[in-house]
Amino acid sequence: MSEKRTILVIEDEHAISNFICRALSASDYKPLAAASGKEGLSLFFSHGPDLVLLDLGLPDMDGLEVLSQLRGLPREVPVIIISARDRESEKVKALDMGADDYVVKPFGVSELLARIRTTLRRADRMKINEGIQRDVYQVKDLTVDIAKHQVLQGGEEIHFTQNEFKILELLAIHAGKVLTYDFILEHVWGPYGGSSNQILRVNMANIRRKLKENPSAPKYIYTELGIGYRMLED
Amino acid sequence: MSLSQRWSALYQWVYRQMHRIPALPRNLLVTALFLCAAYLTSSILIGHTGGENNSALVFVLAVVLISLLTTGYFYGILASIVGAFCTNFFFMFPYAAFSLSHTGYPLAMLSMVAISCVVCALTSRVKLQAAEAVRREKKAKALYEQNERLNQEKTAIQLQSARETIRSNILRAVSHDLRTPLTSISGAASVLLSSGEISEKNTAMLQDIKEDADSLIVMVENLLSITRIRDGTMPLKKREEMLEEVAGDAVLTTRRRFPDSKVELDLSEDILYLSMEPMLIKQVIVNLLENAIRHSGDREHITLHLFRQDNWAVVEVRDRGKGLSPEICQAVQSGRPLSRDLSGDSTRGMGIGLSVCQSIIKAHDGFFAAGNSPEGGAVFRFGLPMEDFPNE
Repeated sequence: MSEKRTILVIEDEHAISNFICRALSASDYKPLAAASGKEGLSLFFSHGPDLVLLDLGLPDMDGLEVLSQLRGLPREVPVIIISARDRESEKVKALDMGADDYVVKPFGVSELLARIRTTLRRADRMKINEGIQRDVYQVKDLTVDIAKHQVLQGGEEIHFTQNEFKILELLAIHAGKVLTYDFILEHVWGPYGGSSNQILRVNMANIRRKLKENPSAPKYIYTELGIGYRMLED
Repeated sequence: MSLSQRWSALYQWVYRQMHRIPALPRNLLVTALFLCAAYLTSSILIGHTGGENNSALVFVLAVVLISLLTTGYFYGILASIVGAFCTNFFFMFPYAAFSLSHTGYPLAMLSMVAISCVVCALTSRVKLQAAEAVRREKKAKALYEQNERLNQEKTAIQLQSARETIRSNILRAVSHDLRTPLTSISGAASVLLSSGEISEKNTAMLQDIKEDADSLIVMVENLLSITRIRDGTMPLKKREEMLEEVAGDAVLTTRRRFPDSKVELDLSEDILYLSMEPMLIKQVIVNLLENAIRHSGDREHITLHLFRQDNWAVVEVRDRGKGLSPEICQAVQSGRPLSRDLSGDSTRGMGIGLSVCQSIIKAHDGFFAAGNSPEGGAVFRFGLPMEDFPNE
């Protein structure tokens, strides 16, 4: 890409913001640092970044408030949340409010960069394919064929129950994005399904066994502990 | 001690001594004693005053004292009658003879009995009031003491809660103020490492900085968890979790920290869905894996095995290293805090790690065991209780 992509870092801890910006410039992004929510929003409007890294614990305003202001805009800019480990409910809330991904403090640089790459790629693809739904999704040797209602692993068909297939389908359509438990439950069992988390988790355990997927070495589906699942990108 | 206090002490002593004797003989004794005293006093007085005789007054005084010191009206009235007769018999003309013939004598006797009775009734009332006053005083004292005690308890509770607030504030401060700089130290080190501008010599040092910062982060998390659990001030935030997902996450975290080690996760067919605080259980597994990697001397064959045994979801960490020393096995078996037993240099960090594991598992009502496998190597095993969830 000829032009460097701009990433807005809204983080009040100077040292953290500093090394993130260094890492971003080293990876050929153009970082913009803001130390407060207000500064972040004004930099957002003046510079129009391609992605926002948002710390939820800001001194002047709630990080979720910043997120909802960003999400109220016509232009959808991907947002990655930075949050502390012990504030899970906040992360889930942020994801349900439309954040694209999250990293937990303390995080590694390589992890952060990988998340940024994935999120940007997803955003690009969304822009190109806007409104078009694909029929076939491919992750490594796994093919999820939505039109044919078929899953192939290494060319061999694997049989799934109705709900198991629906979960796979949903994860495949949103490949690369973390889907929260509630999001999956609502889309697979319906908003009034009265379904419990347990059904989803047990279904996932079964999917994993059918795909011979080990959660310590995930090939297709990553577990986001306490939050949800994410299918690896194409 | 003032005079009145001394008197009251003496009075109380006499009173206590007297009350050791049963009521009937005591009352009789008091009555007899004072009547005798009155008789003697009157005898002496009559020697000095002759015909001018005050014995009636002396006997009235005796009656007053008797009714004061005996229980009920009876002895007072008895004493007054006896006194009246004595006065008449011994101290009025004709001496040593009973006579009502002189004018005024019967009236005098009657009035003496009457006065005695009235005095007796009055003293009884005074006694009752005194008793009531004593009772009230006791009650007031009890109330005061209770009030004092409650006040003390209140202060203690306030102090306790203040202390807890301070403690949780310190915890929060520690977690924030240590984690944030450690994150930036580790992050900055890894940025520099990947920048390619560092000489080989400095790279090794940077690597050490990053590794130490990372292990300090783990240590901070451990300390936070152990303080939280040992205090018992914050309850576990339990929720239902799939054990294999927690274990998978723990393995991924461990691999990120020790990329050159091999850790295998062995799943069973059992679906282990149970209640726990997932971050804490993950921490236990990470600690056990880290122990195996750092202390067993074998990084190649570490396995994590999950299975169900009766109503326990069991997690087992095995290595093929040098095994555990008997002290460690014993310390784990005894269930006492390990940090003190394993403070030697060779086991640096192992004690606190295992201690954290023990505390977390205990808080989950699980079991924790350690031993050596017959094929060589150490085995750490913990189990968490499973409630029976209905299958779909």
